[in-house]
Amino acid sequence: MDNEKLSLPQYDIPEDIQNAVAITTLDRLYNWGRRSSVWPLMFGLACCAIEMIAAQASRYDMARFGMEVMRPTPRQADMMLVSGTVTKKMAPAIVRLYNQMPEPKYVVAMGACASGGGPFKEGYNVVAGIDKFIPVDVYIPGCPPTPQALIAGLIKLQEKIDKESIRKVRWYRKGPDTMEIPLPILGPDLIDPRRNAEIKMAAAETKEGA
Amino acid sequence: MYGKGILKGLGVTWKRFWNTYIDDIAWLIRGKKRYYTEEGVKHRSSKNTRGIFTVQYPEERLILPEEARYLPFLVYDEGENGKKEVRCTSCGICAKVCPPQCIWIVRSNDPNTGRPIPEPTEFFIDADICMNCGFCAEYCPFDAIIMDHDFEIASYSRNVYNMEKLLKPASYYRSIRPENYARNEAERKAKEEAKAAKAAGAQKATAA
Repeated sequence: MDNEKLSLPQYDIPEDIQNAVAITTLDRLYNWGRRSSVWPLMFGLACCAIEMIAAQASRYDMARFGMEVMRPTPRQADMMLVSGTVTKKMAPAIVRLYNQMPEPKYVVAMGACASGGGPFKEGYNVVAGIDKFIPVDVYIPGCPPTPQALIAGLIKLQEKIDKESIRKVRWYRKGPDTMEIPLPILGPDLIDPRRNAEIKMAAAETKEGA
Repeated sequence: MYGKGILKGLGVTWKRFWNTYIDDIAWLIRGKKRYYTEEGVKHRSSKNTRGIFTVQYPEERLILPEEARYLPFLVYDEGENGKKEVRCTSCGICAKVCPPQCIWIVRSNDPNTGRPIPEPTEFFIDADICMNCGFCAEYCPFDAIIMDHDFEIASYSRNVYNMEKLLKPASYYRSIRPENYARNEAERKAKEEAKAAKAAGAQKATAA
C-alpha cells in the first residue's frame, strides 16, 4: 500500500511533504501491517495444493502480498488455506490445527471440494465443505482455482482485514468468545468415534467368518 | 573441491537476476513498456523471455486462450427494447450430463393450458460444486450455456448462482470467444435456412 492509500483522504497534506508525512488512524495502520503479512499454514490436501504451490512460485509470486512465508507450525500462522478435498479422516487434524492457531486467524476454502464437497459431495469419506467444522472467511470456487483466481481470493481476504476495527474485533475483548464455531453433528455424514469398538468388533467377526 | 555445485546454482540465479535488467533496458531503448501491457505479458509468457517472468496479477493478467474455461454462464440474445431472449429451453440435458450434479432447473408451465413452456423459471448452478469440466456447454443443443473466462469470483459466503447472476448477453459471449461465437452463429443460420427450405418444400407439396 502506498502513502496515498495509508493516509486518510479527508486530510489535505501539502504536496511537498506528502512523501514524508501520513495522517492516518491507528486502525488503518494496524490493518495495513496485518494485511501485508498474512502468513499461511503450510499444508496441502489435494490437487488444489499444486495450484497453491504454483501461486507461491516465481511465476505468480505471492511474496508480492507478504504471503510468502508458509509456516509449518500453526502457532506462527495467520491464515489457513484449506486447499483440497477434506476427507473424514483428515477433518479432525484440520480442526486441531485451526484450534492451535493464535488469533487473529482466517480460513480460506480453496476450490470446490473444500468449500462445498465438489464432485465428492455425497461421498462416504469426504466432508461436504470445511465450513461444517471451522468458520470460513473466503470461498474460492474453481476446480482447481488457477493461481490468479487464488490470488484474487486472497485480495478479497485482504479487503476483509482492511474493514476490521481494532476496537471491535472479538479477540481483544474481555469475557467469553462471541464467535460461533460450527458444531459438527455426529450422524450419517460422519464417522462416530464412540462407535469405534463396535465397528472393530464387527470387522473382526467378518474376518472370522471369511 | 566441495561446493562447486552450489556456486554453479548461485551463478544461474545471478545470471537470471541481471538478465531481467538487460531485458528491461532493451525494452526501454525500444520505447516499449515491459510491464502492465498486453504486449509485455505476451513476451514474458513466451520462450524468448529472459530473467524474471512474474505476472504482476492485479495490475496485469495472463492472456487467456479462447478455450479457457471457468464457471458456466447462460446466454441471452438482446431483443427489441432490451428484452432478454433466453436461449435456454430448460430441456435439462446439462443437468443430466453434469458429473458432480451441480445444475438444477425449475421448469415453467403455461398458467392457462398447463403445458410446459420452453423457458426456465429458475436456473441454479452451485459454483462451489462445479468442477469446470465444460460438459454442459459441450452438450447444450442451443448454445445457451457457455464456459466463462471470469475467475475473480471469490466471495465471503457459499456461491449458489441463480438465473439473475448467470445470465449474460450474447455480445459478452462474442467478446470472450470470438471464434466459437462465429462458428455457432454460422451453424444456427444454416439450421434456420434448412428449416425454412423444408417448410417451403412442404408448402409446395400441399399446393400440388
